[in-house]
Amino acid sequence: MTVVSALVAGIALVALGGQAVRGARTVDVQLAPRTVHDAAVDDAFYACIDTQAHSLVRPDQPVTLGGTNLADVVTMIKGFGSWLTVADPASTAQVTLTLHDGPGGPGTCLGTTVVATSRGPGGRTVVRVGTGAQVPGQGPPPAPPL
Amino acid sequence: MSTVLATLAGICALGAAGLLPVLVTVGLRWYAVPLAPLAGAVAASLAATASLTFGGPLLDWFIGIAVLAAGAVCGLLVVRPDLGLRAEAPRRRGRGRGRAVDRVAGVVGFLVVVLACIWSLRGLRTPTVGFDARSLWVMRPGWFLHSHAQLLVDLRARNLVLTQSAYPPLLSASVAVAWRITGIHTARLGVTMVAVLDACALAAAALAVVQAGRTVAARVSRAWLPLAAGIAVAALLVVVAAGITEPFLTNGYADPLWSLAAVGAVAFGLQLRSDPSTRAAAVILVLVAGMTKNEGFVTAVALVVLVAARSIGIAGLRGARRRLVTPLVLAGCELAALAWWPVLMKAIHARGATSTFSASQDLANRTDAVAHGFSPYLHVLVLAVPLAVLGGIALRGVRRRVELGNDLWAWLALATGLVAVASALVTGNGAIGPWLLSTAHRITEYPAVEGWWIVGLWAVVAAAGLAGPTAPDGVAAADPTGAPVAVDDPTSDGPAVDDPAVDGLVGAPR
Repeated sequence: MTVVSALVAGIALVALGGQAVRGARTVDVQLAPRTVHDAAVDDAFYACIDTQAHSLVRPDQPVTLGGTNLADVVTMIKGFGSWLTVADPASTAQVTLTLHDGPGGPGTCLGTTVVATSRGPGGRTVVRVGTGAQVPGQGPPPAPPL
Repeated sequence: MSTVLATLAGICALGAAGLLPVLVTVGLRWYAVPLAPLAGAVAASLAATASLTFGGPLLDWFIGIAVLAAGAVCGLLVVRPDLGLRAEAPRRRGRGRGRAVDRVAGVVGFLVVVLACIWSLRGLRTPTVGFDARSLWVMRPGWFLHSHAQLLVDLRARNLVLTQSAYPPLLSASVAVAWRITGIHTARLGVTMVAVLDACALAAAALAVVQAGRTVAARVSRAWLPLAAGIAVAALLVVVAAGITEPFLTNGYADPLWSLAAVGAVAFGLQLRSDPSTRAAAVILVLVAGMTKNEGFVTAVALVVLVAARSIGIAGLRGARRRLVTPLVLAGCELAALAWWPVLMKAIHARGATSTFSASQDLANRTDAVAHGFSPYLHVLVLAVPLAVLGGIALRGVRRRVELGNDLWAWLALATGLVAVASALVTGNGAIGPWLLSTAHRITEYPAVEGWWIVGLWAVVAAAGLAGPTAPDGVAAADPTGAPVAVDDPTSDGPAVDDPAVDGLVGAPR
């Protein structure tokens, strides 16, 4: 029994030690310069569209997330979905928020801007572009691990 | 307020809510420390569910449930003062140096595990917020702070497209509590809160291994061997689990929390000696797993059944009424708590909870794809299976004498979790290739980590085998000097399970 015990303990501890070294290296990847850079760009992008959305609508204002691009809707949910007052049905919304993707430049978040469309006096369509933040460069932000 | 301070405040709030119920049900054990915030997270989850069911602010429900739970356990102590013994000092293992060594091992084990957990969270220095974290887990807390009417809209409106918003609420509710009390509503705070809860679940599961070493040490002649093995294995397991669960451990995903909580539940509920303290720890961890994610829910239901079956044992099946009632009532309460949220999602026709299920017809190809997709993450089974077979044949007697659970329980728990997740992929309608590519790493965390816990427990058992012959019942020699000491003080560690049929897995006691 002593031999088997020593064998089981030895195999288990060696395997655990080896896997622990591997695990520590996996964690260290999180600290790699590339990972840090990607995370910083990702954070800056979502903070930017969040600020632009705040410049367009109040938290208590019923809105709908428009556009035909599903990815844009998901991006808006990720950026400012936590504080928006979503209108249901969508027809009751005061403002429709969309993303406009274009070339990177001043006033854009990696080329993306938040756009608000609403009905003004006399039924006129009013289009406003979000302000207050920008991130230089061209999007989309680096894809985080799924 | 900085994110660090806000995280501390959030965890303290959860810990305060869970402290008294944990102290009374689990007792003054080192593993009660990480369990307190997790119990608070369960309270937050119940608060979110109650808030959605009945209306009223989340924080009011959270405080109300915490006070109610504290009052209930205090009331229980008045009615049943004998149960309060678990709140006293941990089991006294012997006298003199034996007791001191046991206590030192407890302190050292706790410190080593905590330090390993802190080191494993170093990935938090990079401010990563994962895709699902940003789109769901640390976005939805804002919804729980909305009015009741708006929360219903958030969960039902079809134009919000995300079907995952019907997932169980524990993570988002815990983050919502932190957001509410600190006034800081950032994804970053959400991620750090989730990471600390992950670390709590990881620490609890690792401390179960330390506890296993201490339990074993009281029953062998050279106690220092299993004590040292328990501490070393626990530290290694923390680092191993962190490697398996990264980058999701520190980017706000829910998968590590349910996986690690389920592993802890298996450790306390199925692998350690069964006593009221370990069963209470298992209940808390089962609830955490089941209230965190759908995969965790399915696994938690299976664990509830397995833990109840172990508690009932052969004696219960033979008609010992007292063995039947308590486990069944406990399991019923756990299942009711777990089912509240999913039933509510169906009732309110939440987005993602009402879709009609239609199984795929291409089962053979999908099964093959799932097997191939999972296999790179489950290489631990190549080690764990033969090791368990070897241990089961050669060290079964040692394992039984040192009162650790039959290894088959852990394998059953691993298999049910694996089959549950694999079944969803095999029978689902999504394109299997991309589905596996984007999820296989995360949804195999539970079986992968569980496999390593099985290996770790065998290392502790093997250390017991090396530590010399098992002492006669009641006079084990925990003293490293060799002086015989008493161990079975029934008042110090909750009632010991004396019936050999208590762990009756097909005729294999314990």
